[in-house]
Amino acid sequence: MAYSDKVVEHYKNPRNVGSLDKNDPAVGTGLVGAPECGDVMKLQMKVNPETRVIEEAKFKTFGCGSAIASSSLATEWVKGKTVEEALSIKNTDIVRELALPPVKIHCSVLAEDAIKAALSDWKKKQGEAEAKPAEAAARH
Amino acid sequence: MPQAGQHEHSIERMSVTQTQAERTAASQCWSCKALARGGHFCVSCGKIQPLPRGTDYFAFFGLPQKVGLDEGAFEERFHKLSWKLHPDNFVRTGEYERSLSLERSSELNDAYRTLRDPLSRVEYLLEHLGIRKEGTTKQQAPPELLEEVFELNESLDELREAKAEGGDTANMRERLAAAEKNFQQKLDEVDAELAGLGREWDAALDAKADDAPKKAVLARMNEVLNRRSYIRNLVFGVQKELAEA
Repeated sequence: MAYSDKVVEHYKNPRNVGSLDKNDPAVGTGLVGAPECGDVMKLQMKVNPETRVIEEAKFKTFGCGSAIASSSLATEWVKGKTVEEALSIKNTDIVRELALPPVKIHCSVLAEDAIKAALSDWKKKQGEAEAKPAEAAARH
Repeated sequence: MPQAGQHEHSIERMSVTQTQAERTAASQCWSCKALARGGHFCVSCGKIQPLPRGTDYFAFFGLPQKVGLDEGAFEERFHKLSWKLHPDNFVRTGEYERSLSLERSSELNDAYRTLRDPLSRVEYLLEHLGIRKEGTTKQQAPPELLEEVFELNESLDELREAKAEGGDTANMRERLAAAEKNFQQKLDEVDAELAGLGREWDAALDAKADDAPKKAVLARMNEVLNRRSYIRNLVFGVQKELAEA
């Protein structure tokens, strides 16, 4: 199966690879995995506690091209968004943007889970109660 | 959109290619109208029969849905079936029988490949019973395992970088060799755990246990399978790096 041009582009030239200090109270870390394929994805975001705007996003993914492209795209999208806006990103948005085939949809699910897990971690650090249990589900 | 596994496609193919004869006489032989018993051939006239809807790979071979498999008997049954279902035997029959034989022969090969391998057998069982479905049920690994997996992947990355820069990899190799041993051991542990759960499942079937305890065994099997995918990937990754180092 061939990857779409957008996947290849993100894979060859991933945006925002790296890590942020996970002990920084303004940084939320989400570590998720897809046991079906053994992929692991770490997504970190630095959020301004005043404005709730995501100022920085980094990822590191060990997995297939689609998983790397999905997380690369996710970091691109969340930057400059508020926490609430970022939480509204759906895996289907990623599927559409990257033209992922059905067998690779779980990669986009992983990216959505990673966003939610990272922001849930950030909220915890800010002392915010979990709004929805679903948001924390990805971490357990 | 939930993803149907490879195996499910073939099951589906069985039902979507249902013909008129199949719909009108699901429990009767399409030819002699005798009561069909869900086998490949009519017990009365011997003609090839459409399989009832939802026939799984185990039933295809006339086996219970068990993890344990008598390999000798299984191979023998496969050879017998491939011979009996072979399209060569149907060159002189009607179009309907010929098409059944063609379909069935390809299904037979799918079923054989799936059940022959112990691991894919367990995966199929869990998929078929709706426990393991990509995209629908959340398949999350425990956080400690994810941390561990992530860290080892990072060490692998470090080795790749050290290699690319032509640096000293002896130290790294040692770390990788230790990691390989560690993860191979984990893989063995996981396989032993899986085998134990398989025996538990088979015993529960024999004892005609209730659904709840059976489901619990299946859920545990699924968890162990998930852990196994990570560990297997790590073992492969480490071995690849060691071979190239």
